[in-house]
Amino acid sequence: MNQILIIAWREVTRLRKRFGGTSPFAALSLLVVLGLSAFALRNTISLGSGLYQIGVTGNVSPIHDSRFTVIQVDAEQGKMLLNEHSIDVLIVDMQVFSRDDNKSQYAIHALKQYMEEEELARIRNTYPESQAFPLRVGINYLPASRAQGQNEAPTRPEETIIPSLTPPPLPFAQVLVAMLYILPITFISIFFTSSFMDEKINRRLTVLLSAPVTPFQIVLGKMLLYAVFALSAIVLIAVLTRGNVLLIIAIFLPTVLFLFAIYLMVPLFYRTFKDTTFIAMLVTTLTTAYLVAPAMFTDVNDISHISPLTLAVKMYRNESFGWREYLFPSLPMSAIFGFAMFAGTRLLNEEFLMGYKPITRKIADAIYLLMARIKPYLSVPLWSLLVIPIVYMAQIVFLAFASNLPLGMIVGITLMASALIEETAKSVGIVVLADHGVVKSDREILGLSFLSAFGFFVGEKLLVLLSINLVSEASISSVLFGQGLSLLMPLIAHFLFTTIVTLLKTKAKLLYMAALMVGTLAHFLYNWYLLGGLR
Amino acid sequence: MIPFLAVVKKELGSVLRDRTILIAILLQLFIASFSSGLLLGMLSLYDADTILRTSGSRIRIGIVGSADDPFGTFLVERGLTVIPFGTLTQAEWAFYEGTISAIVDTPEAANSITEIKLYLPDSNTRSSLIRTAIQEPLKEYENYLRLQQGIKIHYTDLQGEPSTSFEFVYSVLLPILMFFPAFVAGSLSIDSLTEEFENNTVQTLLAAPLTVNGMVSAKIGSVLILSFLQCGVWLVLLKLNGIAIQNTGWIFLLAFIISGITSTSAALAAVLLKDRERSQFIYALMLLAGVAIGNLLNLSPIITLSRLAVGDHFTSGWNVVLFAIFLIGLYLLLRKVSRQIVV
Repeated sequence: MNQILIIAWREVTRLRKRFGGTSPFAALSLLVVLGLSAFALRNTISLGSGLYQIGVTGNVSPIHDSRFTVIQVDAEQGKMLLNEHSIDVLIVDMQVFSRDDNKSQYAIHALKQYMEEEELARIRNTYPESQAFPLRVGINYLPASRAQGQNEAPTRPEETIIPSLTPPPLPFAQVLVAMLYILPITFISIFFTSSFMDEKINRRLTVLLSAPVTPFQIVLGKMLLYAVFALSAIVLIAVLTRGNVLLIIAIFLPTVLFLFAIYLMVPLFYRTFKDTTFIAMLVTTLTTAYLVAPAMFTDVNDISHISPLTLAVKMYRNESFGWREYLFPSLPMSAIFGFAMFAGTRLLNEEFLMGYKPITRKIADAIYLLMARIKPYLSVPLWSLLVIPIVYMAQIVFLAFASNLPLGMIVGITLMASALIEETAKSVGIVVLADHGVVKSDREILGLSFLSAFGFFVGEKLLVLLSINLVSEASISSVLFGQGLSLLMPLIAHFLFTTIVTLLKTKAKLLYMAALMVGTLAHFLYNWYLLGGLR
Repeated sequence: MIPFLAVVKKELGSVLRDRTILIAILLQLFIASFSSGLLLGMLSLYDADTILRTSGSRIRIGIVGSADDPFGTFLVERGLTVIPFGTLTQAEWAFYEGTISAIVDTPEAANSITEIKLYLPDSNTRSSLIRTAIQEPLKEYENYLRLQQGIKIHYTDLQGEPSTSFEFVYSVLLPILMFFPAFVAGSLSIDSLTEEFENNTVQTLLAAPLTVNGMVSAKIGSVLILSFLQCGVWLVLLKLNGIAIQNTGWIFLLAFIISGITSTSAALAAVLLKDRERSQFIYALMLLAGVAIGNLLNLSPIITLSRLAVGDHFTSGWNVVLFAIFLIGLYLLLRKVSRQIVV
């Protein structure tokens, strides 16, 4: 513990030295600029900024919306401008003129959205509420079938709304607030990354590693300071937005750990500064997409539970959630943190950090270092089991890419790519071990292929179970016991394809890429057959 | 000139050899497809017009109450299927049999506040879909009731075409694809400069027949070549996808000039601070501040780009020239600063 604190204190001195020379004036002006930017961007950045030109004449209240540029014209001139496509819409008093082409019609639609709000504000200010808003809608929810409905009381109390003031449930606003938490965490973790790079460039890491501290203590000590920063930022935002501070900490702690885990990988793998930039960009984009996108579907689709931001959105809407909803996003994130800490302590040695090698070679080395100290029959299935979250994330990313292709190709290409990703995940551990001469005989490779397939298979089924569990409890039993024999088929298939790849690579001395292709093709044909493509 | 080209060649060579630039290119593809995929998802779940267009007639709504109540008409006009019922119990039976998906109970008589009851299925997904679909008719009904009390709402006859897709393509997608290379260019020029400073290789490099300014310019030049190529590819791909873009030449030039501005200001930060950590931090802040100031001065490159692309009548090459003048000023400043500082 003492060592960890010492290393954390070293970080404080490092930051002081780096940013200490900055004059208070520069820091102050920076803050002012930032505040100004936030203020300026608050209203002006919106979908469709500056796209439409509007001509206005007569008695029209001023239009304040970044989508419209308003020009004062007289009626004749306005009609002319409209006809020659210089403006998209002409407003004369209460009348609106447009053309039939798309752009003018889009502008009309945008104008309609804007005018509706303006008119509402106008009547709210002019008339008493009972006249301005004469409609109340009481919303009740009916259960799906009669049988349940007769016995139980109504599932939820009636909720009364005023249509024009209560838009249908859209989580945008709350998602934006929840996103506020991600920004400072990302920023702080970039400093965390820089700290490791510093040590690497100055070769101080060598000194540190020869000191009586373990790599684990070094990683933890460095992380401590930045974790404190991140948590204080979270608490600050929670207080400012009047959230429940303890709940927010509980929600975002796994997220902080997850982001730190990923940013720990950046300094371990980079070779040049440009690598760092690219890898950091990749990480920022993917994690933001992973965290933010599902939260947009809060209360609309169960997919949203993948992201912890959903929990924050629910908190801001005063909705409750249970342990299961909390653990569903938090457990995988914490697991990835654990995995990264383990990887970090194994990879934190001079030889690995300093060598310049092709990135594929570097990854292979990393995998070897992760697996080397445990017996292969344990490490291989564990590897296959633990990479499952990463495999699934990669497959989802690929689906996003494939959605650009023509419809007929999407299924084929996605099947092919996910087969490739899965085969790589299952075989790479064995291949790396064979390259280093840890496993040699055919029997060993066959056995390990089976274990790898088994580990992957168990993980895959666990994931299915977990996601089904959240959606409906009733269907678990059918997944577990209903299918009986048919569970055996995928396991055998996994084993077969993994064996093809590993044997082709290690015994037939084929290039790994070529061996992978053969295994992938077999896997693809199997999946295609299951989907009814070959019949 | 020869040493200048040699540095450019070395820089490009190292980028190609590292192969991590592939990440940046894939990333742009991912952002583009992910955000448009997300948009499609949002549209199909949240946008009333899209819901009505794809599945409006399949949403069947049972109405209980007097036949002359206009709410039913509003629903039908929106393309929803309406089935009248005599009593609420009959409607509930139809709901449980699955013939209708929601029930509206309109009032018999109304005083100043009208209250209607809405019965929705107890499933989040379906009930929010139905609520989105009937939001417009509800608002029309509200306006009708207001009119009965003598309150007139203006501009209710506006219709138009759903504009979200159009706004997204020209104000989000196109600027992201054209300016992301610029963002990368800035980061890269910091990387290649600070790498020389921090590894103490800058003296060796300057031992070659090359001035400080030549070295800095060569580094900026090489990242500009990369962003030039990326912007070109995106423009071609967008056009192949059938997206109409006006003023292509000016847009290309604008994107290139913005790359110049970001990489020059990033290089300025790098020669002043000489380490990656602080330079990247300041660069990120400068970008933020730059966007904000541009917005305040009504000179945003994003809006200029969107307007050029939709063929706005009041935007032309002169708006691009403004940015070019700014770039020249910035570059002269960089030359002055780097000559004094890097020795």
